[in-house]
Amino acid sequence: MKTEGQIEPVMDLNGSPIDRSSLSCHAPIWQDILAQAVTGEQLAAMNYTSLSEICDDPAEVADALEHAEGERGHAASFAAEGRKIGVDVDNNVDARHWRRLREAFLGCIAERDFIGCLIVQEIMLESFAVASYARVAKVAPGSLGETFARIAEEEEQHVDHAMAILRAERALDPERFDDKVYRLHLDVMTTLAKMLAKECKDGHCEVCHASCVKPSLVDVSLSAAELRGASLEQYLKALDMLGLPGEVTLQWVTQLPI
Amino acid sequence: MGYAVANLARREPAIEVDFALIGHQESWRAAADVLAVLRGGELTALPDDEIKDILPWIPPRTVCHVDIESMAGGNARGLYIDCFIPPDRLEAAYVHENLARVRAAASCAIKSGAKIVSLGGFSSILIEGNFDQLPEKRNTVFTTGNTLTVGFIVQGIKKMCALEERNLRNATLLIIGATGDVGSGCARCLAPVVKRVLLNARNIERLRRLATELEAEGVEVELSTDLQRFPTQADIVICAASLGRPSLLLNRIAPHALVCDAGYPKNLSPNAGLFGATVFFGGLGQIAGGLRFTPDFFGILNRHPFPNVVHGCLLEGMALALEGRFEPFSKGRGFITPKRVAEIETIAARHGIHLAPFANADGPLERQSEYQTQSSRGWVRPRGGSESALVTSVREG
Repeated sequence: MKTEGQIEPVMDLNGSPIDRSSLSCHAPIWQDILAQAVTGEQLAAMNYTSLSEICDDPAEVADALEHAEGERGHAASFAAEGRKIGVDVDNNVDARHWRRLREAFLGCIAERDFIGCLIVQEIMLESFAVASYARVAKVAPGSLGETFARIAEEEEQHVDHAMAILRAERALDPERFDDKVYRLHLDVMTTLAKMLAKECKDGHCEVCHASCVKPSLVDVSLSAAELRGASLEQYLKALDMLGLPGEVTLQWVTQLPI
Repeated sequence: MGYAVANLARREPAIEVDFALIGHQESWRAAADVLAVLRGGELTALPDDEIKDILPWIPPRTVCHVDIESMAGGNARGLYIDCFIPPDRLEAAYVHENLARVRAAASCAIKSGAKIVSLGGFSSILIEGNFDQLPEKRNTVFTTGNTLTVGFIVQGIKKMCALEERNLRNATLLIIGATGDVGSGCARCLAPVVKRVLLNARNIERLRRLATELEAEGVEVELSTDLQRFPTQADIVICAASLGRPSLLLNRIAPHALVCDAGYPKNLSPNAGLFGATVFFGGLGQIAGGLRFTPDFFGILNRHPFPNVVHGCLLEGMALALEGRFEPFSKGRGFITPKRVAEIETIAARHGIHLAPFANADGPLERQSEYQTQSSRGWVRPRGGSESALVTSVREG
């Protein structure tokens, strides 16, 4: 409670509204949200590093390594936000769902399938990242929200870049391309759908530091249903931009596990 | 990454799309049925709470392909595009969000190369006064489809009066939602053949303009923004209001009244308490030549006890496609005249699109004729030119 004579700052140095009470009392929730984000970014960095190993063109190798570095920078930014609110942000790329996503990507690497790698990372995983970061950015206070917003924007630029490559590839043989997307969808999006389900039915995700964070998301004006909805919307829009038939991709999405 | 960004000029083989139908589901039950078809029979149906969580996030898109056959011998191919407006967000508070969804659905239709697009349900209501808000159209034209809807409402009233031996000339007609495109079109068509017209709507200025127009033709008109003022006086009621859910109550309606619910979503509340009145759903037509959805949405997208029954607004685009007349036949608000209604009815009839058999929330009000009972699912071929026979008009109460 404010007492006479005290002047309480209402803005931080960056001009963002401060909601200290929200940050402190909800720190364990932000800790888990940040842990998922850091894990995702670390996994993306590993994926781009792996991708650099199958590129023939030195420019492509450099590009992939630059992307990997960028993702590591994102992970560091999220971890720094955790420190600001007094929590350690762990990551666990070996957690059950994240490990499965990494294995799907490595499957494409094993086949030296550059296009498959882009589909997994840029269309599927980035759709999830862009949409969920953007939703978190809307409710997270101060610099935490700004960091999520900035990284969502940067990830979206990745998608734009990959889109041109993938559209060109689809133009060569749409049927073959769509078959490949569907095969990867069954693997990757099924895993993501389980991650994004309203309840973790297969047990602990191995990223949350204690019990599952999903039921507590409502305390920070989020919900698992909203994050899933926004991610699937972003994914459908990405597939639309690639030129896949909307009626087909709608069927794919409605058949995902809940 | 510099991976071959080339060959973009190479195109997929184009599938010619004659028409597109833009719509949305009027209830969560209907939305659940659509998602159940897409999910397939092998997977567990989505629980209701999951449907309510997922549907609002689905961007407008094609749901299925639609093939129709004309009784004159031709056929047309089309698409059904759903706006995925959540059924509980049809209220005015969501108008901007819904308009954005209709625009996105219109973009899908344009991208598909559809030559004509019919706007169903709320998409028509949202756009009828805002055609300039549609995306750049290239070679695609849009029609609200309201003229054929009016045609089927008017046909339904006349047929039901004839079957129940009611004298239309002595009747007092009440139109609820009278200043909308459909309501005002019905007023222009029926005012000359009834004794008196009662107009109800929310906008008093528009009501006055319509009343002045009708009075100039010698019609006896009364108007009110108070719905409860008129029901006791009406012999025939047309419900054509833009309501987000079936919520209309017609207290103290005359027990002999004939009520045509032409809304989408339906106007009448399930608790409307229309004791004794005859109620039927209006504005619906039936395609005699055949209608096929791929995947099979038979009975899901056209929820009606009789086969191949579709709302007039959607049928207008199909009829025009079969006719090869790719033009914005119904555009704007307040331009529907008896002459235009007759014109679209003639086009529709030429291709075997006629007034649907009568039904209401309790089911059919007519017996199915021979070709309907023997039809295969979704692809009906008539055995001779048969007309549905009214066997009874069901009195509610």
